[in-house]
Amino acid sequence: MVQTILPLLNTNKSKISKWISYFGLGIGVVLLLSAMQMFININYLLKENNPRKNGYDFISITKVITNENMGKDNTFKDDEINEIKSLPAIQDAAPLISNQYRVKASAGNIIPFSTDLFLESIDDSFIDTVPPTFNWQPGQTTVPIIFSSDFLELYNVFAPSQELPQLSGKTISSVNIVLEIYGATGVQNFKGNIVALSDRINSVLVPKSFMEWSNQTFGGVSKVNPARIYIKTKDANDPKLISYLEQKNYHLNKDKTKFGRIKKVLQNIVSALGVFGILVIVLALMLFSFYLQLMIARSKENLQLLLTLGYSPNWLSKTVAKTWIPVYVFVVVAAVVITGLMHYAFVKISFVERNELSYFLHWSVLAVGILLLALSVFTNYRLVKKNLSEL
Amino acid sequence: MQILLQEIIPTYFEKEQFTGSEIWGKNVTFSKGEHVHIVAPSGSGKTSLIHFIYGLRKDYEGTISYQNENIKNFSLEKFSTFRQKNVSIIFQDLRLFSDQTVRNNIELKRQLNPYHPPEKIDEMARRLGIANKLNRLAKTCSYGEQQRIAIIRALMQPFDFLLLDEPFSNLDDNNRSKAFALVKEECDMRKASMIFADLKQLDFFNEERVLKL
Repeated sequence: MVQTILPLLNTNKSKISKWISYFGLGIGVVLLLSAMQMFININYLLKENNPRKNGYDFISITKVITNENMGKDNTFKDDEINEIKSLPAIQDAAPLISNQYRVKASAGNIIPFSTDLFLESIDDSFIDTVPPTFNWQPGQTTVPIIFSSDFLELYNVFAPSQELPQLSGKTISSVNIVLEIYGATGVQNFKGNIVALSDRINSVLVPKSFMEWSNQTFGGVSKVNPARIYIKTKDANDPKLISYLEQKNYHLNKDKTKFGRIKKVLQNIVSALGVFGILVIVLALMLFSFYLQLMIARSKENLQLLLTLGYSPNWLSKTVAKTWIPVYVFVVVAAVVITGLMHYAFVKISFVERNELSYFLHWSVLAVGILLLALSVFTNYRLVKKNLSEL
Repeated sequence: MQILLQEIIPTYFEKEQFTGSEIWGKNVTFSKGEHVHIVAPSGSGKTSLIHFIYGLRKDYEGTISYQNENIKNFSLEKFSTFRQKNVSIIFQDLRLFSDQTVRNNIELKRQLNPYHPPEKIDEMARRLGIANKLNRLAKTCSYGEQQRIAIIRALMQPFDFLLLDEPFSNLDDNNRSKAFALVKEECDMRKASMIFADLKQLDFFNEERVLKL
């Protein structure tokens, strides 16, 4: 039945706007879908090293060691810590307290490895991974430890050359570490147990209660000035913060935040691209709606006569709208294929060496493609129906 | 099916225009099967009445009902089912798709709710003498030919009522009686009514009812 009513539609005029709208729809869909896929790619590739938490950066500051102040006391005094805490750019600050005694670690018989070690402690709220087992009471011989994941990586680099086994993040928790602590009163052994790895803090962390107790007991000091302070800030690149730190001659360890920043910037760029894609899609659909209006207005007499002859308005809307479904399917499928090829090229050509990324589009990208197709068909149907009912 | 006219008066009419009418302002019932001839001189609102009954216009007072339902409340969707099954029409102004072939014009109606097979188009066109025009564009046909196209088109669907608005005005006597015979035959086949509006009474129409508009 469809063949005979289509010649009644005046589709020949304003072909240019029709083709521009198809083209625009295609470009918009490609932009949106590739932006989505790139967002997913970035998230996937950069996910493990993001020390940002709830929108905050956690970074350490130390005093810059120069030839002039070398050998002097470069720890932070209480008033300096309080001044840092009072800065508007800084939400919180916590000192890293280090051990005031000698400590040696060995890994027992399985891993014949022994080294002098340092221990530090900090407020739990500054640690990214705090398991419930991370606490210590006097009398307890096992000390929970949170180990820097960077240190683990470093260990795994030199372990083969020392004929030591490489360790994964999971196996390290089962390694029995013996901590030998040397104090004025002699040596005492503790069992060390790595309960978590930290991406944020490059240190060997023990509970604060243990640090206070051991410094008192073995080092004979109750008050320790820290050499490192961790700050919690919304924006590590705040110019006011940076100029304050420079003026005070403090060194900001920005390696980790830089990484998070890059990810953030990349994601913002890609999101902007996606928003632009949505805009283009909306414009294309609007242009198409003008074309439809014009076409229906030009075919008004014929359409009215069809209704007079007894054609049902619903059937007519569906039939007229259906005419464009193959075009929409073609445009959206072509856009998905182009996005897929672009993604394939990205995985193939880019620096990604391991088989981290799939060559295929993420399912959510395909789902959005289908959604866009449904949306186009639906808006088209609604537009036709609306225009027909206004005849 | 029944069509009921209850005191309908076009809103734009002056009182003297419908005094003495047997339809305007009166209660009239058309029942399926009976043939009605509405004799209506120019300016008495003949075409308006046909359009009111077919549901194309609503500028009247009173009520027109199909099966006791006021057609003023019908949606276009509901009209379309009646127009496909119950009511067919031959317009005075014909209303053809001028850029379509004669055959397409008729087929557009036939396919909607086929009462006849496509071959019937050729047969009817032969009977009315327009068989050689079937593949021509409608706009290239003479008014008399177009009138016959409109007649054949109206007969392609099932109906209970056939509304005819001066359907033979441009036909000679010979063609007029051929066309009337065909229309009559088709109505009898469906046991349907003709509601035939014309300027004067026709000699060959043995109608059961004559109403003066």
